[in-house]
Amino acid sequence: MRSKRFEALDARPVNQDGFVTEWPEVGLMAMNSPNDPKPSIRIEHGLVVELDGKLRADFDMIDTFIADYGIRLENAEAVCKMDSLDLARKLVDINVPRTEVVKLTTSMTPAKITEVVGTMTVLEMMMAVSKMRARLTPANQCHVTNLKDNPVQIAADAAEASLRGFAEEETTVGIGRYAPFNAMAIMVGAQVGRPGILTQCAVEEATELNLGMRGFTAYAETVSVYGTEAVFMDGDDTPWSKAFLASCYASRGLKMRFTSGTGSEVQMGYAEGKSMLYLESRCIYITKAAGSQGIQNGSVSCVGVPAAVPGGIRAILAENLIAMALDLECASSNDQTFTHSDLRRVARSLMQFVPGTDFICSGYSATPNYDNMFAGSNWDADDFDDWLIIQRDLKVDGGLVPVLEDDVVAARNKAARALQAVFKNLGLTEITDAEIEAATYARGSEDMPPRNVVEDLKSAEDMMKRGTTGVDIVKALSKGGFEDVADAVFGMLKQRVAGDYLHTSAILTRDFEVISAVNQPNDYRGPQTGYQISDEKWAILKNIRQAISPESI
Amino acid sequence: MDQEQLIRQIMAEVMTSLGKDSVTFQKKSPAAGNGIGRDQYPLGEKMPEKVKSATGKVLSDFSLERVKNGELTAEDFRIAPETLEMQAQVADSVDRQNLARNMRRAAELIAVPDDRLLGVYNALRPYRSTKTELYGIADELEQKYHCTVNAAFIREAADVYEKRGRLKAE
Repeated sequence: MRSKRFEALDARPVNQDGFVTEWPEVGLMAMNSPNDPKPSIRIEHGLVVELDGKLRADFDMIDTFIADYGIRLENAEAVCKMDSLDLARKLVDINVPRTEVVKLTTSMTPAKITEVVGTMTVLEMMMAVSKMRARLTPANQCHVTNLKDNPVQIAADAAEASLRGFAEEETTVGIGRYAPFNAMAIMVGAQVGRPGILTQCAVEEATELNLGMRGFTAYAETVSVYGTEAVFMDGDDTPWSKAFLASCYASRGLKMRFTSGTGSEVQMGYAEGKSMLYLESRCIYITKAAGSQGIQNGSVSCVGVPAAVPGGIRAILAENLIAMALDLECASSNDQTFTHSDLRRVARSLMQFVPGTDFICSGYSATPNYDNMFAGSNWDADDFDDWLIIQRDLKVDGGLVPVLEDDVVAARNKAARALQAVFKNLGLTEITDAEIEAATYARGSEDMPPRNVVEDLKSAEDMMKRGTTGVDIVKALSKGGFEDVADAVFGMLKQRVAGDYLHTSAILTRDFEVISAVNQPNDYRGPQTGYQISDEKWAILKNIRQAISPESI
Repeated sequence: MDQEQLIRQIMAEVMTSLGKDSVTFQKKSPAAGNGIGRDQYPLGEKMPEKVKSATGKVLSDFSLERVKNGELTAEDFRIAPETLEMQAQVADSVDRQNLARNMRRAAELIAVPDDRLLGVYNALRPYRSTKTELYGIADELEQKYHCTVNAAFIREAADVYEKRGRLKAE
């Protein structure tokens, strides 16, 4: 006989999730593993000869790279000897300014910073995130994809996402050869919704760089790094190749961040028996060492691994905090689906939502989940109102703003028409008025008529062969009568000449003003300091369409 | 430590032993140097007349009209080495030396054509190149495009790959 209460509990969504007990020997442990190395650093004649218990002769590729480039050596030995609990207190203490903390954290070794954050509760880490986030104003990023790689829908969804407040938008592909169309569609659509939105297309490294060089994208993010050498080799890169790639992007005036996350090493079977957080801290140091301005981390696409072990969601917050403490831009994940439970997915996101990060989600699915080609997201288009109302409930700026249905419909329609003009004037496949109508009112790709995929792919390939660039897109928009959109795409291209958005945590306003950790650094020092929601912004955030006002009754 | 930094340090030590304490081989502090730092940032907004593209066009002269009439082409939308050096100085001024170093490596790579750049990146991936091939690429970048920092970086990678068994078999 079964307990009816347990039967009911077994039927709850959370019990469809997978959980495992800790197994430190294979790395199935989120943080504070007994196998993590003890912090140490020894420097002779400006050269690190010992790092976290390992002598230089025994360094692997990652140790060498971090030792030679990733740590500020002047005070490294002294900081390593400081009490980790004292250092953790400085991270939390509102009386110790961020700039002072960064001097200490950037002098730490990977094992040291892991030990420091390992002493903190999630609440203390959230306090630290409030202070350590690089940019003053938090923001958000979304995914714009669909099952059919339909570019018309991508343009419409991108426009709506811009209107809703996302500062960055990311697409990817189902079919690799659709990449140029998807990249063009998200760029054009995003600029229709709000000028100055940064867009990217996540595909294989070399293709992604090629799209950027052509002016189809403004930034890149899927530059993955790993915490053990074996997994790095599996990822078909080295710290040197990734650092070179970082410089390639900057040489073309393109913004770029690395990507990593807890759980990737154990998932790929080479965790060397270390905790997920320790290995992730190595990734963050590689990122720092390579000179990347920032990182997307927080387990990201491996979230199922840390989420299955005790303290895994705490470890995800801890890795975000380490990135910020190393003075990097942090796009803090909250993307890939990890649970069937609505309660769990909200609890997980509050860790970054409440203190605010450079990009709280990276990204939030701007489509229904069935269209998300990044294996689903923790948040999607069907949750837009939930997100807005949680912002309103807590008086938190989570990067989104309420919108009116008419405005969304108009923006979607204009984006689809603008893309139609681009396709027409570049001699690409036809976009029909029926497709525009469908994209204007669609919820997802189920509402879109099918396209001729073979023709699209041929057309995209042909366009790439012709050497079409962002400048051609500007001209095509102008020729089609979309002068304002042409001007916005031109504004994006201009950014790469100045290079201001190559700096840490950079985003653009609708007037193409750069906001970054250089001109708007986070200066949080306790209540009523740092980022404060202005009265104007609060008026926008609280004005949700569902609210009943006394005047309306 | 990168080679450039190492050389600076060695030179500083040599000069110290010569008794010329005041000589410094540190990169000039940007604020004290030619004045590019956080106060000039964003350069595109505060000094567009001083920002030039790789083709030598001045940013303040960029307009949609000039794109439409063909005066500005895709080539003009490429960042110049001088601009990246200024951005590196901005990064230095806010104590982000790693980012500055990346920007200086990038400044060198502007001269390398797109296809060649992609080729070098692929050659740096594991098991793609022999040590001789990587050293050859380093020589090519140095001689053809004056990429001295990148050349040293690639040679260093080749040495590490050799030690860790990540080279293509000869």
